[in-house]
Amino acid sequence: MKLSSVISARFDTPDSQSIETYRKDGGYETYLQVLKGEKGSPDDIVAAIKASGLRGRGGAGFSTGMKWSFVPKNVDKPKYLCVNGDESEPGTFKDRQILEFDPHALIEGVGITCWTIGAERGYIYLRCEFKKGIATVQKAIDEAYAAGLFGEDVQGSGRTIHVSLTVGAGAYICGEETSLLNSIEGVRPYPRNKPPFPAVEGLFGCPTIINNVETITNIPHIVKRGAEWYAGLGCKDDPGSRLWCVSGHVKRPGVYEAETGFRLQELIDEHCGGMRGGKKLKCVIPGGSSSKVLLPDEVAQVTMDTPGIRKFGSSLGSAGIIVLDEDTCMVDAVLNLMKFYAHESCGQCTPCREGTPWVVQVLQRIRDGKGRLVDLELLDDIAKNMEGRTVCALADGACWPLTSILKKFRHEFVAKIPGAEKGAREVATA
Amino acid sequence: MITLTIDGRQVEVAPGTTILEAARDQLGIEIPHYCYHRDIGIDGNCRICLVEVNGNSAKLAISCKQPCGDKMDVQTASPAVVAARKGVMEFLLINHPLDCTICDQAGECPLQEYSYEYGSGDSRFVERKRNKPKHVEFSDKVMFDGERCILCTRCTRFFETVRECRPIGVENMGGKSTITLGPNGPIADPYQMNIVDICPVGALTSRDFRFKQRVWFMDFADTVCAGCARGCNITAGAYQGKLLRFVPRRNPEVNKSWMCDDGRLSYKDHNLGDARLRGAKIAGEPASIDDALAKLAELVGDGQGVAVLASTKDTCEELLALKTWAASAGVTTLWHGAATWSGDDFLRCEDATPNTAGAKALGYEPVPAQAPALRGLVVAGDVDVPPALLAGLDFLVLQRATETELSAGAVVLLPGRTPLEKKGTWVNVDGLAQDVRPAVEPGPGVPEDWTLWRDLLGESWPSVKSLTLRVRAELGGADGRLVASES
Repeated sequence: MKLSSVISARFDTPDSQSIETYRKDGGYETYLQVLKGEKGSPDDIVAAIKASGLRGRGGAGFSTGMKWSFVPKNVDKPKYLCVNGDESEPGTFKDRQILEFDPHALIEGVGITCWTIGAERGYIYLRCEFKKGIATVQKAIDEAYAAGLFGEDVQGSGRTIHVSLTVGAGAYICGEETSLLNSIEGVRPYPRNKPPFPAVEGLFGCPTIINNVETITNIPHIVKRGAEWYAGLGCKDDPGSRLWCVSGHVKRPGVYEAETGFRLQELIDEHCGGMRGGKKLKCVIPGGSSSKVLLPDEVAQVTMDTPGIRKFGSSLGSAGIIVLDEDTCMVDAVLNLMKFYAHESCGQCTPCREGTPWVVQVLQRIRDGKGRLVDLELLDDIAKNMEGRTVCALADGACWPLTSILKKFRHEFVAKIPGAEKGAREVATA
Repeated sequence: MITLTIDGRQVEVAPGTTILEAARDQLGIEIPHYCYHRDIGIDGNCRICLVEVNGNSAKLAISCKQPCGDKMDVQTASPAVVAARKGVMEFLLINHPLDCTICDQAGECPLQEYSYEYGSGDSRFVERKRNKPKHVEFSDKVMFDGERCILCTRCTRFFETVRECRPIGVENMGGKSTITLGPNGPIADPYQMNIVDICPVGALTSRDFRFKQRVWFMDFADTVCAGCARGCNITAGAYQGKLLRFVPRRNPEVNKSWMCDDGRLSYKDHNLGDARLRGAKIAGEPASIDDALAKLAELVGDGQGVAVLASTKDTCEELLALKTWAASAGVTTLWHGAATWSGDDFLRCEDATPNTAGAKALGYEPVPAQAPALRGLVVAGDVDVPPALLAGLDFLVLQRATETELSAGAVVLLPGRTPLEKKGTWVNVDGLAQDVRPAVEPGPGVPEDWTLWRDLLGESWPSVKSLTLRVRAELGGADGRLVASES
C-alpha cells in the first residue's frame, strides 16, 4: 500500500508552523479567494463539501457537508464554529500533529468554514495537556490577526470573522460535542440532551457547527482542489486521505497518512514494520478505544474505510489503531480500558455513572482470581443496560470494546475463574 | 394539535407537550421519574422515564424531555422499557446504602416505591459499596447524606431556577460525583428546606424533623399555612395530637410546590401544650361556657359603646357567625386585627395572618388610628389588642386559645382553637378562598369557635358547612372563587 500526503504534506517542512512558510507554500490563498467570493457562494461551498464525501474525522463519521447544511439560514442570532481539539480517545494522537506542525492549515480551515456557515467566531477548543499545541496555535492565531486575516470587515469582505483559542481543564467528556459547548460556556461540562441539535441551538443557544481538527484542516484542500479531486481519493463510499494513529506492539508506531480503503494488515506489516519482537498478532482495536476489537483473520481481510470495517462489525472511529500481540492478557487490557471510562464518566446519567465503575469492580475481581462464571453474563447485562440509555455515547463507547472482547476472548476470562473448568456457575464468591 | 397513541390509546396534545406530560395529564399514566420535577423543569439525567417510540427498542427516549410528535406510537411498558427501568433501578441501588430502617425518607420515598414497582427484588452486586460524605451539614436546617443521593440534581436546580442562586453544586465526576456546598458556606436561602421535599431519596433531610417520627405512624391533613396572607397549601403532619411538620402541597395558583422555611417551621407555634385555655372563666374563676356566654350577653346589653375586634387568623365562617351575633346584639363596630413580618418578592407577604382579605370582604375594618371611647370590647381570636382601646373600658371579653397578660383584666375568658384545629375558609392575598381543615384536635373544653357565636345567637346551625355555604354566597364573585388545590 502507498502512504499519501495531503494533511501531513507540510509536517516535515522546516519552521512549518510560521505564517511565512505557510504563505510561501500557498497558504491562505484559498481563504482570500473565498473572502472575495471567488470560490462561489456559501451554498456552493457547502455543496462542494457535500460532494467531496468528507466525513467527520472525530469518530462518528457524519457527512461534514450535510452537517453544515443543518444551520438554519434566517435566524437573528450569531452563529459559531467550534473546532474540537480535545483529542482524548485512547489510541488517538493525530490532531496533535496538525496543531503542532501545521496550525495555519487549521486556522485557514476555520476562516473558510466560518465564512461558509455564516459564523462570526470560530473557537478552537484544545485539551489542557496539549501544552505545545496550545502555544503553537495561539502564536499562529496572533500571526493571522497581525496579517489582517481575521477581525471585523476582514479583507474588506464585509464579514466579521474571529478565531480564538479555548483550553479545557482535561476531561475526556469535553470531547463530546455538547459537553464541549458547556465547557466553553463555563458551566459544568455535562453532555446535553439532543434534540435540539447544536446546528440549531448550540453555543450560547445559537446555531453552532462542531467539527474535528482534522476535518477542518481538510477544508482548504477541498475548496482549493475541488470536490471531485477529493472524492477520487481512496474508497468511493468513504473517500479522502486520513491520518491513522498506530500504537501498541508494532515495531514503528506513529501517525501515518493514507487514503481510505487500504488493507489494515499491509499498514501494520509494510509501514509499521510488523509486530514487535516477532510476536504474533492477537487483535486490533481499529478506531480508538471505543470501537469493537478485530481478530487476526479479520485484520487480514479488513479494508480501512467505513463500509469495509462495518462488514466486520466495527468502526473507524477516530482512526486510533491499537495493535495487541499474543502476550497481552485481554482481561487486563479490557480492565485498563474500563478504568478509563469509569474515571472519565461525567456522572450525569445513572447507567454510566453507576455502570462503568461496577464493570471495573467485576473485572478486577476476575483478574484477582475471584470471578464467577455468572460474572461474564453479568458484564454483558450491565453493558446491555448502559448501551443506548444515556445522554451521550460515552457509555456506548465503553460497552462496545467490553462486549466484543468478552465475546471474542471469553476463554481468557474463563481461564481466570477458579473452578470454571468443572462448570461450576457460582464459585469463589467475593 | 398533535395526535399520537400512548399504549395504544389515542390522545391529542398541544405542540411542545412532552410524552411524560401527555401520559400523565391525558391518560393518567404515571411514568416513573426522579430528576424531572414540574416546578423545576427537565434535566434528563436519571433515565428511568425511558419509553419506546415508534418501536425503536434499541434507543429508548426519555419521556420527560421528548416532545410528542404527530402520529407517534409510544409504549410506556414494552418489554424493552420494562427491562430498561429494571436496569436503571439496579444501577441506582447498587451503591445506595439501603438503610431504609434508619432513613427518614422511608415510607415516602420514590426510590422505595419504584424499587417495589420496577426493580428486581434482589441484588447482583457483590462488590464493596462506594463511600461518600455523610451527615454533611448544608445549614442549620438541612442535612446531606451523599451515599443515599442519586444525583438527580433537583436540589441544585431548585436553587438555580426557582431561587436564582447557587449555594450547592455537583463536585467531582463519574461515580465519585456528589453534591457539595459552595465556597460561601452554609445555605442561607430562606426557602432552602424545599430541597428536602423535592429530594426523591433520603439524601436531604430536615434537621428539624429527622429522627422524630416514622411517617406511617403520623396523621396528615391537607390544609393551609397560617403564617402569612399567601396561604401556601400544606400537608400538616401530626403524631398523637402534636404537630411535627408542615410540607408544601402543590397548588399552581398559590405556591406551586414551595413554602418559606419560617412558615414551614411555624407548626411549633400551634403546639400549645399546658398553655392551652380549656373551658371558660368569669372574673378569673373557672366557669361553664354557657354561664360565660350568658355573662357576655349581659355585659354587652344593647350593644351601645361595644366593639368587636376579631383576629384575621379566624376563618370566614367564624367571622360570619361573630358578625351575625354582633348585629343581633346591636354591636355595629367590627374591627379586624393585624400582624406583620418581613415579606419578600417570592411567596412571603408582609401581612402575617392568613385571612385579612376574608375579614375585609365580610365587612370588618381596621382599627382606626383615633378609636372612639368604648364601654366594652369583645376580642375574638389570636390578636394583639392596641393599648389605646383598653383605656376606660367597663369590660373586656377575650376569646382565644391561650391566656395572655390581658387575661387578668378580662371579665369573661372563652376558649379558642388554633388555626391548625379549625375547619373553614381563608381568603388569601390574591382573593382566593381556600379550604382550611383541622390537622389536630384540641381536646376537651375547646369547642369550635363558631359555635360560641351560634349559641349566643340561639341558632341551630348543625355544622360549619352551613356557614361555609353562607360564606360562599356572601363573598361571591371573583373574590369568592374556591379553587380546590391538588393533592
